Amino acid sequence: MNVTCKDRDRIFEDGSASEWAALESHAASCASCAEELRAWKSLSLAAAELRDYTESPTLWPRIHQALVEQSATIGDRRIKWGWRSLFANISVSWQTATATALVILLMVSGIWILRRPLTTLPQQGSLLKSKALTEVEHAESAYVQAIDKLAVEAKPQLENPATPLMANYREKLLVLDSAIDDLRAQTGQNPSNAHLRYQLLAMYQEKQRTLEDILEEKR
Amino acid sequence: MGIMGLALAWETRIAPAVQQERRVEPFREEVAAPARAVEAAGAEDAALAAACRSGDLHAYERLYALHGARMKNLARNILGSSADAEDAVQETFLKVQRGIGSFRGQSSFVTWTFRVLVNTCYDARRSRLRKKEVRTDDEQQHDDAAPWPEPRAAVAHPSLRLALERALATLTRHQRDVFLLYEVEGFHHAEISALLEISEAASKNALFQAKKNLRQMLEPPRSSSAAGAR
Repeated sequence: MNVTCKDRDRIFEDGSASEWAALESHAASCASCAEELRAWKSLSLAAAELRDYTESPTLWPRIHQALVEQSATIGDRRIKWGWRSLFANISVSWQTATATALVILLMVSGIWILRRPLTTLPQQGSLLKSKALTEVEHAESAYVQAIDKLAVEAKPQLENPATPLMANYREKLLVLDSAIDDLRAQTGQNPSNAHLRYQLLAMYQEKQRTLEDILEEKR
Repeated sequence: MGIMGLALAWETRIAPAVQQERRVEPFREEVAAPARAVEAAGAEDAALAAACRSGDLHAYERLYALHGARMKNLARNILGSSADAEDAVQETFLKVQRGIGSFRGQSSFVTWTFRVLVNTCYDARRSRLRKKEVRTDDEQQHDDAAPWPEPRAAVAHPSLRLALERALATLTRHQRDVFLLYEVEGFHHAEISALLEISEAASKNALFQAKKNLRQMLEPPRSSSAAGAR
């Protein structure tokens, strides 16, 4: 094998045994390569100066002591976290798959919990409220119609009051009607307010009693 | 003081006696060892790893007996101090004991242990630099350059060793690691590639660059050589 000075660096970096032998042969007749080769080998020899394998009598006892202490700590931890050793026999890919499944499960649960109050609960509340309200409004309407029938019967006495008592009844009914109108306006703005509904019911009951009293006077 | 100030003529630095101490293998081939020897070494490595994994402290003692001196030497060459090197070796054994469960056998157990050691040494260096951050900029630059080697056991060529240590300190981390592992500790490129997690080609290139740089730093100035020759 023939080598030239140009091959020298390549052989220094990654030359095969035969290439090194060829370089040695070339160096025999090339002063420049001979000097480079000698310097290159000298560095390897010089590296021996950095070798100091003198025994340190205290180092192993020190390491041994530290290992004993650490193994005791590790033993305690193993007892404390013994359940974790179950995972040691499971391959990393299965551990990853299990962790991914858990994360997906948690995400789905989280999304379901977050969405539930926004979608299902308001619908249920709305149905209940509207159902109760419809029942109240139906009852109120029937009650008003019944009171109106009484009012129609009492109308002749009220239009021409024959006695001061009847005039007072008339005034009272005007006040009650005015209050009923106000309360109905308020319940129209806030139909689910139970307190207003009770006040309105009380007014209707008072009007009913007043009309009954008027009709009693007539008899 | 510059590196050149410590440069000595190659002839005076490398005495023939020293040359006989170690066989020069500039073309140390990654020759495949006999199959039986490779199998035996692999089996011993696997047995050592298994014993360490089982918590057998005798296995750690065996690991120390086989590689402790080399580990300490490598740590000292990276850290520049025997005390720091001993701390790093101890920390490495503790890390091996803690992390043996994560060793999957992609590389040999010994290679893995040396990888832990090299990482521990650089962690120690970083920690040491952080502690010295309060110093002035000039002092910091000096520290960043390299650890200052402390005196060691008597060697044949103290001036050469000192010059080499200072020159090594100016190399890049990769070049220094590969030079120390290959030329000083005798690892093969295949082992170094596993140890430093680089390719074999990168290991060879780093060694080439390291030696090229070291040669430039350690050789005497050309002008004085030429004058001397004349």
